[in-house]
Amino acid sequence: MKVHIVDDDEAIRDSLTWLLSSRGLEAEAHPSAEAFLARQEPAAGCLVLDIRMEGMSGLDLFDRIRDRGCRLPVIFLTGHGDVPIAVQALKKGAFDFVEKPFNDNDLVDKVIEALAQDARRRARQAGADSLAARLASLSERERQVMDLILEGRMNKVIADRLGISMRTVEVHRAHVFEKMGVKTAVELARLMVAMKG
Amino acid sequence: MENRPKPARETLHAMPLAAIVLVVLLLGAFLWLLYRSEREQEYHSLIKNILWVEQNLGFQLATAEERLEHLAEELARRHLDMAHFKATAGHLVANGPEIERILLLGPDRRILAAVPPSAGGEAPVEGGTFTMAAKLGKRAFSGPVSTPPGGTGFEMQVPVFRDGKLAAMLVAIFSLDDLLGSHVPWWVAEKYRVSIVDGNGNELGTKSRLAVEPGRSYVVPLDPPGHDMALKASVYPSETSFTRNALAAAILGLAVSAILSLWAVRRHIQRRVAAEQALHAEHAFRKAMEDSLTVGMRARDLEGRITYVNPAFCRMVGWPAEDLVGRSPPMPYWLPEDVEATMALNQAVLDGQAPREGFELQFRRRDGDLFDALIYEAPLIGADGRHTGWMGSVLDITDRKRAQELAAREQEKLQQTARLVTMGEMASSLAHELNQPLAAIASYATGCLNKLASGKFVREDLIQAVEKLAAQAQRAGRIIRRVHDFVRKSEPNMAPCFLDDVIEDSIGFVEADARQRGVRIETDIRAVRPLVLGDRIMLGQVMLNLIRNGMEAMIETPAADRRLLVSTTEAEGMILVAVADRGTGVMPDAVDRLFTPFFSTKSEGMGMGLNICRSVIEQHRGRLWFQGNPEGGSVFRFALPMAEP
Repeated sequence: MKVHIVDDDEAIRDSLTWLLSSRGLEAEAHPSAEAFLARQEPAAGCLVLDIRMEGMSGLDLFDRIRDRGCRLPVIFLTGHGDVPIAVQALKKGAFDFVEKPFNDNDLVDKVIEALAQDARRRARQAGADSLAARLASLSERERQVMDLILEGRMNKVIADRLGISMRTVEVHRAHVFEKMGVKTAVELARLMVAMKG
Repeated sequence: MENRPKPARETLHAMPLAAIVLVVLLLGAFLWLLYRSEREQEYHSLIKNILWVEQNLGFQLATAEERLEHLAEELARRHLDMAHFKATAGHLVANGPEIERILLLGPDRRILAAVPPSAGGEAPVEGGTFTMAAKLGKRAFSGPVSTPPGGTGFEMQVPVFRDGKLAAMLVAIFSLDDLLGSHVPWWVAEKYRVSIVDGNGNELGTKSRLAVEPGRSYVVPLDPPGHDMALKASVYPSETSFTRNALAAAILGLAVSAILSLWAVRRHIQRRVAAEQALHAEHAFRKAMEDSLTVGMRARDLEGRITYVNPAFCRMVGWPAEDLVGRSPPMPYWLPEDVEATMALNQAVLDGQAPREGFELQFRRRDGDLFDALIYEAPLIGADGRHTGWMGSVLDITDRKRAQELAAREQEKLQQTARLVTMGEMASSLAHELNQPLAAIASYATGCLNKLASGKFVREDLIQAVEKLAAQAQRAGRIIRRVHDFVRKSEPNMAPCFLDDVIEDSIGFVEADARQRGVRIETDIRAVRPLVLGDRIMLGQVMLNLIRNGMEAMIETPAADRRLLVSTTEAEGMILVAVADRGTGVMPDAVDRLFTPFFSTKSEGMGMGLNICRSVIEQHRGRLWFQGNPEGGSVFRFALPMAEP
């Protein structure tokens, strides 16, 4: 859960590290986009990128890491006249941007928010991962039965649709609930909606 | 330039030549006919004469024959009386020059007597003839015989019968030469060479004056004496032919000289025609050139009357040439309000004082449009070298002037934009530069506050952070100083200037723009020649900016109300300038930020204009402010201190 600062101004890197540490946040500063790309990609935390830098700009760096599949929240630091660029970045999925000079704790608050979002995302990702594993354990017939349950069909209708007996449907249903770790059809539906969301 | 043969002209050229040739031919034919008829006549007279001569000779011979026969009868009657023979023969020889001798032969052909007496060694008498005469019992002629000394003649033998027997033979020897000599008259001998020829054409005797080669001849048989002897007359070439030849030669010479002169005339005409054609071509070329000129040409005589205008000039002023040629000043295309000034200028041109580099004048087209003309005048020198008037070339420079103005405006706009861009760039980069230290300062400060608020801090850390903060503050100060230096470099260039000139110039600049936007710019200049100390260019920029803003504010305004009023007044040593528009006015929420850098109510504005304007006015120790216009729209005002004159 580190904050990664990428800025070519040494004073900014130093002062931001100081500011974040004053709120108990751990920060790691990188003097350029290239330097950041050269290291191991962080799995958790958030990024604070200066939009204007010598060499690769913050926006280019953002595009690059997004292409790589990095989902960390990104906060841009902008100067005068960079607002349109920052807005563009927001549309691409950046977390937020902050205009220099900063209002006391504005940036820190946004960083904390981003970290929280990242944590949530990772938790959801973990859940989604396990759900995916559970879904993968279903047999084809069980998958068909589950889809029909989610459509809210009665056992009788499911049996007619799939051309199997009511008894067999009940067996499949029990297996599906067991494998997906739910007790009722409502719970199953919630789980699937959460996964899709 | 091609020389196309025109059939008519060719005929024209050919006719006299043909006539001359025909005359020569006819004359030649006439002369030839004349010659022919003369020859014919000559021939006829030749024939006539020769026949006459032949008749004469025949008559002479007949006479001689008669006399000899008479003598023969006498001798027969008188038993060959020798005395009588001698007397009669002597008489005959004496009176008949053609008779050489007369002999009397016996039947045995011996000479009984001879007149003149024989000198011995007689040539024998032609035997064949003797026999013939004896047999026939009548006279007979011999063929040609030689007669001493070396002539040719013939014999006439007349038999003398007694009692049916040949008693003797009278032989008269005729000399051909003498025959001709005595019986061809002088007027015949003068014209013809008369000769007697034998059957082979050999001349036996002749009567000729000269040994000239004769011309035509005519031959008549001479019978008697016969024996293929013939009388031949040949015409001497007459002197008349010389006259005729001279005449023919003269005629021929005349004809030749006529043809030569005709040819010379024709060549002359051809040269003339060629020159004419060249002139035509030249004229056509010049006309085409004049007609295709975009420059108007206008020629005037010494009194200023128009003598010629080219189509371009007519197009320019809109009057056809026939309405202009012959006109005296004032011209219809002059501006009615400037007639006097134009008249004076016109007089200067006529006095030869036209500026060499040309002069500009406004003309009015027929449809009332004005246009700017650039006129060059040059003296018109006639073909005889006399000064006959003035040729003026008139250029419509309206477009050029417009283009120049446009270019100047564009340039000015560009400069202004460039200036604004540099200002903007500078401001922008300044903002960026300052942002860095300020962001750092804010972060250090906030960090310190956070630490202090939490109560969990290490003193050294705080001290270090505050030191860093101070260093960043220093950094910001350095940036600001650099800006100061830059601004000092572009200090205004102060000099006394008249503000009304500045205003007029800037209105002039935007006039075209205003026309385009349908904005009427009105002025109300109450301050008389207000002098201020300032940078003309910068003050002009301020005016331009305010006027442009005002015009842009009226885009939505109905066309009739698009009025921009620029007014000046004086008050307490200040000059007050107001630019009032009837536009949309300034939104209340924008009023406070109107003069803020980078604030713009215009979508494409940079938000530098008013801000810079205010800076400029303040640099000039003045004030710039804004009010709503009670009539709608807004009024921007500024006040500048007046300078001491």
